[in-house]
Amino acid sequence: MNWDDLLLMRHELQLLAVILIVTCAEIYLSGRDKSRIIPLSLALFGIHMAAGWLWPVEGELFGGMYRTNGLIHLMKSILDVGVFIVILQAGGWARKQLAPENRVSEFFLLIWSSLLGMYYMVSAGDLLMVFLGLELSTLPVAALAAYEVLKMRSAEAGIKFILTAGLASAVTLMGISLLYGSTGTFVLADLGKQMQGNSLEALGFIFFFAGVAFKISLVPFHFWTPDVYEGAPVSVAAYLSVISKGAAVFILMILLMGFAPLLTDLWVNVLYLLAILTMTIGNLFALRQRNLKRLLAYSAVAQAGFIMLGFMSSQQDGKASIIYFMLVYLFSNLAAFGVVQTIEMHTGKEDIGDYEGLYRTNPRLSLVMLLALFSLAGIPPLAGFFGKFFLFMTVASAGYYLLLTIAVINTVISLYYYLLIVRAMFLRKSDNPLPLVTSDGWMRAGLVICVAGIVALGVASGVYDAIYALCAHL
Amino acid sequence: MIPGVSLIEILTVSTLMFFIGVYGFLTRKNLITILMSLELMLNGAAINFVAFNKYLYPGQPNGQLFALFLIAVAACEVALAIAIVINLYRKIKAVDVEQVNTLKH
Amino acid sequence: MGTEAIIVFFIAAVVLVGGGMIASKLLAPTSTNPQKLEPYECGIPTQGPTHVQFKVGYYLFAILFLLFDVEMIFLVPWAVVMKNIGLTGLISAIIFILILGLGLLYAWKKKALIWE
Repeated sequence: MNWDDLLLMRHELQLLAVILIVTCAEIYLSGRDKSRIIPLSLALFGIHMAAGWLWPVEGELFGGMYRTNGLIHLMKSILDVGVFIVILQAGGWARKQLAPENRVSEFFLLIWSSLLGMYYMVSAGDLLMVFLGLELSTLPVAALAAYEVLKMRSAEAGIKFILTAGLASAVTLMGISLLYGSTGTFVLADLGKQMQGNSLEALGFIFFFAGVAFKISLVPFHFWTPDVYEGAPVSVAAYLSVISKGAAVFILMILLMGFAPLLTDLWVNVLYLLAILTMTIGNLFALRQRNLKRLLAYSAVAQAGFIMLGFMSSQQDGKASIIYFMLVYLFSNLAAFGVVQTIEMHTGKEDIGDYEGLYRTNPRLSLVMLLALFSLAGIPPLAGFFGKFFLFMTVASAGYYLLLTIAVINTVISLYYYLLIVRAMFLRKSDNPLPLVTSDGWMRAGLVICVAGIVALGVASGVYDAIYALCAHL
Repeated sequence: MIPGVSLIEILTVSTLMFFIGVYGFLTRKNLITILMSLELMLNGAAINFVAFNKYLYPGQPNGQLFALFLIAVAACEVALAIAIVINLYRKIKAVDVEQVNTLKH
Repeated sequence: MGTEAIIVFFIAAVVLVGGGMIASKLLAPTSTNPQKLEPYECGIPTQGPTHVQFKVGYYLFAILFLLFDVEMIFLVPWAVVMKNIGLTGLISAIIFILILGLGLLYAWKKKALIWE
């Protein structure tokens, strides 16, 4: 093996270096004040993110087990931006709550380990790599969900997540073993060629799909979502709702559209049904939530249903609309979670009722929330509108008009509960509204990036074209 | 390859193991027993990999390689799960899933 | 290898598990009375908690041991073919062990190795 080839794995090696440096810093600083690790971590990850953007490369390593190209590079960069915003928003929380308990650097290390798993997952050329990446990206999140060791509900979120994740990974493995039994190979490119489309492959594929659907929280596999989002720390919920889901969507896209053409009839029908179920059930359950974290959890389930619309066409437009929607969704959802986190950290309140009259006391936070919710609902001219628009165009051009109608109805339902929050913040008057909360500088930076993303993506039409061009070769 | 034992018999065992694991996972109340059921499912899949490799594709050992990685990953998963269970145990003094019910609706 | 056979086995497994459950629900005579919950035949009813507590420290050590024990899975195959894969294999294994060693150092510094 040529050592120069390792430069293909630049993204992974950089992140590994960041992880090792912070681990060493933690060991070196043991027994001393750890809050110094926060700026170090943010700076290192910022450098990694900036360096990651440069020079997209293309090629294969380890006999095709690892592969990368422009599109995969873009996916990794999107995940980078998301993680950067998440840890930026978590900075103040880490300083205030984690530093006194001496648990700062583990938070960053676990998030990065999970991100490393996602890198390997999206650039996998082999089912073994997919599986290892899936596990590496899931297991640290269980530890993160149980991170607030003093709170009962955090421990509960952790146990619920690890048990569901364990079940999902066992089912995935069974699926992979059946696919292997039928084709005799793990290499994705060969897998597509060896498939005969028999029922064993279909069974294996369904088992495998269940494991990935768990990470995207599609409907029959979504039961963990609201509980874990509510119990886990807010930044972990934000991470789960955007990054973890995004990576799973990307790998599903690569597998289905790139490598499993024979099973197309199967998965289009399965996803058609799951998209309808996920949108509808997610939205209907979101209607009756009063806790904002649970509401955002069900809204995240519903948004997963919208993402599935993009899978209806395996052409270039399907891929491009999914990636564009993920990018938009990342900024919108992280902005909403950022506001919830700020309010929760300073006042401990997270019900819709507590937000009544928020605009009078915290005008800027309410405006950020307004933008985020309107973008999630898909109101023009914000980015969310275009994200949904391209997904709907994909469905329409593939000719699934019933699905399109259901999706539009669901958008209206989702608008209702997003507007409930807006009404509470802007129109309702409260006798004792929440006091003025001053967010810390890191959180403010994170929110500014999100808002800039929401507005800029709505205005700049070149982004979609650029993604569309990249999707030509998957 | 075991003389006198066909692939079908091995697959029967592994499939039964998997579904006994599923059954235990869904019905048991004790968290440690649930983790044991999980192991049973993972090991059922591991047997599948090795058996398919040995009987159908003896050319290269990729199935066995997968089984090795599977064992390592399963160990990590159980170690983490046990750590979380201990954390939970310190709060509710029990390892019974029915007492883990603060988050609802 | 007929793939139908495997499908049949899956169905058989489901039927066996589900059938067993249903059959035992239907056939088994059930009676519930307080005597049934009492300790078995001999001995007196227990007083106080009967479950002996283990120190949490045992679990912590067991978990740490488990992780480094599983390392063997990767090192034994490596040792078997070490002569064939040359310097690249050696360097890879060294990096692997170094990263694991960093984990041990971390546990050490976190005072996880002190028995209280």
